[in-house]
Amino acid sequence: MQSHMDSHKKFELARLNIHPFKLKFFGLSFLFLVIIILPFFISDYWIFVFTLAYYYTILAASWNLLGGYTGQFSLGHHTFALIGAYTSALMIIKAGIPLWTGILAGIILTIIISFVLGVICLRVRGLYLALITWAFAEVVRTYIRMGYEFTGGDRGLDAPLLFDTIQPLPYYYLFSGIAAVTITLIAGIMRSRIGYYFRATRNDEIAARAMGVNTVRWKVFAFMVASGLAGVAGAFYGHSIGLISPVLGEFNEMAMVIIFVVIGGLRTQAGPVLGAISIRYLMEVLREWSEIRIIILTAIVIIIMRFFNGGFMEFFKRGKQWVQQKEVREPVSAYEKIEQR
Amino acid sequence: MDGQGKYLLNVENIAKDFGGLRAVNHASLHVKEGEIRGLIGPNASGKTTIINLITGIYTVTEGAIYFSGNRIDGLQPDVIASMGIMRTFQISRVFRDMTVLDNMMVPALSQGQTMLEAKTRAEELLEFALLAALKDEPAKSLSGGQNMLLQIVRGFMNKYLRLYVMDEPFAGVHQSIKGIILKAIKTMNREKGITFMIISHEMTTISNLCHQISVLHKGELISEGTMEEVANDPLVIDAYLGG
Repeated sequence: MQSHMDSHKKFELARLNIHPFKLKFFGLSFLFLVIIILPFFISDYWIFVFTLAYYYTILAASWNLLGGYTGQFSLGHHTFALIGAYTSALMIIKAGIPLWTGILAGIILTIIISFVLGVICLRVRGLYLALITWAFAEVVRTYIRMGYEFTGGDRGLDAPLLFDTIQPLPYYYLFSGIAAVTITLIAGIMRSRIGYYFRATRNDEIAARAMGVNTVRWKVFAFMVASGLAGVAGAFYGHSIGLISPVLGEFNEMAMVIIFVVIGGLRTQAGPVLGAISIRYLMEVLREWSEIRIIILTAIVIIIMRFFNGGFMEFFKRGKQWVQQKEVREPVSAYEKIEQR
Repeated sequence: MDGQGKYLLNVENIAKDFGGLRAVNHASLHVKEGEIRGLIGPNASGKTTIINLITGIYTVTEGAIYFSGNRIDGLQPDVIASMGIMRTFQISRVFRDMTVLDNMMVPALSQGQTMLEAKTRAEELLEFALLAALKDEPAKSLSGGQNMLLQIVRGFMNKYLRLYVMDEPFAGVHQSIKGIILKAIKTMNREKGITFMIISHEMTTISNLCHQISVLHKGELISEGTMEEVANDPLVIDAYLGG
């Protein structure tokens, strides 16, 4: 007992007297500042790379809401970005509506389709849900490829640029802003009562229903929010690069999003951000190495999954635990805690 | 009985088939408000199936279930929970990755309580159950007995709770935890008027705790009354001791 008190005192003296909230606030402010000033120190090429990384951050964070927090393993998430991108571009090109209205139409259609798909398939789960969403994704992608006259097929579709410039800077700020709003929205949801329903549903759906949670309703809601966010990303993406093609709907895109989340940290708020930005960055750094970069990336994935299956966030968590165990805590089991009372 | 009578729960002649197997065969139960009812029977007699039918996990094949005069068979489990029926599971089903406190919050929030109300109530109940020191621990770190205890006190978070259905709440738990569970049941019954229906194989506990006992055998209700009455019923003796 004495040694426990001594180590506790030691920790009290050793640690910085900063409230966790303040630490988070300063950390986020610093990150915000870095994101704002970064473009002034890097080339246009790298500004574009980071813009892409923010696009994938939105997809990864929104998939994490669905596949991570709610436990709905969708393999069609990238398709909602594809739908958002094509709807917006087609509405502007074919129907002649204003650009912002086209973007809005893309987002709304994405939400409507996700609602219908959600109602149809969210009574199933696990592998069955993964298969249904994958099949949906393939149907949409194949339609876009085959419907050449309407969608441009494999050649793609020229989407009007949002800011009338090919300079990447405005798009960089646009996507960093959307990514920040996405992360804030998801953090808000997870801290609200809805976050409790999501987590309870993922943990044990039968128990959640018995506790009064309408699990189907909240699963559909999660599906709509996540898909809607992917639709937002897709709708803006098309008008940022000026060309959209069915490549956006390939399974590789989905696999990449899942890798970003898993490498960063499934069911964490910072994980998908870390995963998307760091892996995109690494992919660009290793670009000169051609195919070898795939081997290096794969090796990194294997190493992280083997030793830190909670991704980067587990690495940080273990580091924090290691410091605390070293300086403060003696192991106390839950049973011992109750006995101590 | 038309389901509109003096009983809080009326189970009217229900049957449940699983393919060719009839798990419950035209059983009827009538439970008064404020009663503690024991539900006993040999293994595979249909006790848990009846609980699953009452709480909407299964749908009835035949018959009807009324709660406070309203027909509830066919309703979804979350709707039944919102009407004031909570349950526990034989194998504890806590939300393992959530903390003890977060587990408590779920039924309260789903019934419209504010975060502050739910948290205050949860902390009171955890204090009562001697789990307050563990409130920030993930539920998966608890022992089996503590898991069962958490599962039980979690049900009390539903502010509309009128009927609490418990499936083997004393099975495999330490005596000290069993004492807390018994205290919780008696206190809630006495002070809040909550009605309980308890499945257990612990005859002494059931005898001391329950006002009335119903005995199931092969999906049929074979006896009902006080422990003394059912213990002397030849049908019950035959069910437990017969071939």
